[in-house]
Amino acid sequence: MIRNFIISGSGGQGVLSIGTILANIFMLSNKYVNFCPCYGAEMRGGAVNCEINASDNELLTLQNSEVDIVVALNQTSFDKFISKVKRNGTIIVNSSLAKINKTRDDIKYIFAPMTQEAVRLGNIKIANSIALGIISKITDNFSIEKVKEAYEKILKNKTELIQKNLEAYLTGYNYLLERQ
Amino acid sequence: MNTKELLKGNIAIAKAALNCGCTCYFGYPITPQTEIGEYLSLEMQKNKLAYVCAESEIAAINMALGAASTGAKVMTSSSSCAVSLMQETISYACSDELPIVIVNVMRAGPGQGYIFPSQGDYNQATVGGGNGDYHTIVLSPTNVQECIDLTYKAFYLAQKYRNPVILLADGLLGQMAEPAELTDNPYPQIDNSNWRLDGANSRPSREIHSLEINQNKLNQHIINIYKKYEAIEKDECDFEEYLCEDAQIIFTAFGSLARHVKSVCNYYRSKGIKVGLFRPKTLYPFPYKKLNELSKKTPIFIDVEMNMGQMLKDIRLAILSNARISFIGKPVGNWLKEEEIINATDNIIKEHYASI
Amino acid sequence: MQVYSAPKTIKENSDFTFCPGCDHGLAIKIVAQIIDELNLKENTIAVASSGCSVFLYNFLDVDCIESPHGRACAVATGVKRAHKANGDNKFVFTYQGDGDFASIGLSESMHSALRGENITAICINNTNYGMTGGQLGPTTIMGQITTTSQNGRNKEYHGFPIKTAEQIALCEGTSFSARVALYDIKNIINAKNTIKKAFEYQIENLGFSFVEILSSCPTNWKLSPKESHEKIKNELSKTFPLGIFKDIKND
Repeated sequence: MIRNFIISGSGGQGVLSIGTILANIFMLSNKYVNFCPCYGAEMRGGAVNCEINASDNELLTLQNSEVDIVVALNQTSFDKFISKVKRNGTIIVNSSLAKINKTRDDIKYIFAPMTQEAVRLGNIKIANSIALGIISKITDNFSIEKVKEAYEKILKNKTELIQKNLEAYLTGYNYLLERQ
Repeated sequence: MNTKELLKGNIAIAKAALNCGCTCYFGYPITPQTEIGEYLSLEMQKNKLAYVCAESEIAAINMALGAASTGAKVMTSSSSCAVSLMQETISYACSDELPIVIVNVMRAGPGQGYIFPSQGDYNQATVGGGNGDYHTIVLSPTNVQECIDLTYKAFYLAQKYRNPVILLADGLLGQMAEPAELTDNPYPQIDNSNWRLDGANSRPSREIHSLEINQNKLNQHIINIYKKYEAIEKDECDFEEYLCEDAQIIFTAFGSLARHVKSVCNYYRSKGIKVGLFRPKTLYPFPYKKLNELSKKTPIFIDVEMNMGQMLKDIRLAILSNARISFIGKPVGNWLKEEEIINATDNIIKEHYASI
Repeated sequence: MQVYSAPKTIKENSDFTFCPGCDHGLAIKIVAQIIDELNLKENTIAVASSGCSVFLYNFLDVDCIESPHGRACAVATGVKRAHKANGDNKFVFTYQGDGDFASIGLSESMHSALRGENITAICINNTNYGMTGGQLGPTTIMGQITTTSQNGRNKEYHGFPIKTAEQIALCEGTSFSARVALYDIKNIINAKNTIKKAFEYQIENLGFSFVEILSSCPTNWKLSPKESHEKIKNELSKTFPLGIFKDIKND
């Protein structure tokens, strides 16, 4: 198994934190993984993205021209990264902040109103965890223990926030079920 | 238990430095290595260690020079164009025989270039930008784990040989996070009580200087330093060989780019073509001897670099006319992808080596 | 009865290699006397710089490191802080010329003062680059003839000289900043007391202490030693007034 992801959005949407959590989940599941954030002046102006690669074997590829899954948390990221999705790959879009618009017909789309759902759950900042739930559902079905452990690694002892994020994660995970 | 942690290359270097007893850090911010100084600012102040936000890289390397003269384990970190600013003092440190660990997380050049990664400082690191006859030891990590391992080694070799050591990482490696283990420092402490400056208490006073107005003495001093370099060249060459044993083509590459090349080897092996990778881990001392041995049984070498062919000169020196040498490279930006390397390799084979 | 002997901190059998009439020798002797009096010899690391001042380690019997041109205060910062990290409070001072301290090294000097780096800097101001044969430096006074201002320093080509002690006094981290001269006995005694005070301020951990010494350069000024001292008294001290410009204990 080799998987690669781009997560993209604007500053404050938790792009790098959810990327780190995803990378940690793979690490805790004994996969090889690397996490490449954008950095420096690339982040000025508020656009943030990161790439995550995971594999059962030693990871030799550090930068991909195309990835299996792109998460776009707003319109700008959708426009910028849709071309990076592999044929038959998937783009997961935060439809609260991006138009429902299928500009390519060789990829799959999942539109979910993440910001709206996050607000409903009581914290606008956990929209990123909803995206993580959707990733889990359509890829590896991560064990919930590993997901929890990854959140704990990053958020340390902020138990309430961890709980909220897990709630958002499960909301994302179940989102497709409810839609089917 | 899994003791691995998801670490950025920059943070891994900082943690390893602290873990092997670095007590002094001096630095000035520059992307893509700033996290090293940011991380250490908190940790070193917590432990009352020496940390200065220097006013320039020139000041930083000179603070490092002063601190090294006390026998302390000292580190500074920077990137490319700012490492250029340090060259004068690196030359001094070699003549003064002072151990300083200098981390260069390479960005694009020449001049200011930009923050994207590159391997354009191979020459600056291995040949040196300072004046006079000297060498710095240069270590080249390929992944985050090696950022840790080679940081330990950098401090050890610096102390062992009383010479600056450059850890030559790149922007991709510095920014990238991978699972890595902060192992214990495997190297012994080196006694420096016979040269450090800690006050002439119950012993004659000591002087550390590069100026020498007696030409015979200056001659001898440099000859002595070169005896040390001979020992370094004999004992400290380090490299990784991957599937070289039966290879008809050997790729040469260093740093994190070598991983893409390794993946290319796997591709050719799956097609039944015998291809291997030779990766120097020490860029100075360069493993000329080993490469020369390999070139006696492998007819084709292809050097792959993220620059315009800087290591290529050393490859040629090692291989001489024993084998054919080709080059694949580009100066800066996204690392050459596997498919780009494969396409270029196919073309080289088609053009020059139709028989394979 | 012995009435006079060389300071203990001057190396035995060391002959000064400075030009006849140069004040470097006197300045180094004064520093050595103070190191003796404050009993600092075994706890001191001196930082020499580039230019005539580099030979400090040939004469002073303390641990000494030479610094690249201009960087003495940065090197001293490293020495001081590394020992501090090791739990040792060493006495660290730099001995620099005006070209070293106030031209090429102005950034390192001033930032050490701003940081309140607990070191002492001594700057020999002889208004030219002595070692290279007397060129215009940052302290060359208006109208002064040097090999690179052969018609005298003028503002059109060269701008103005830096008043180092006054500038350093402006830095918040400075504990003490003064300018002294060595042209007569009274001033020599005053210079010694002043440098001693600067050293004591470091011992008391009060921050950056600084003494600028107006010094003669008979060779490059093309004057006799006596005329050189008269020049300091009558001309240089007009541009560079003697005195204390900052004293954290009195301000």
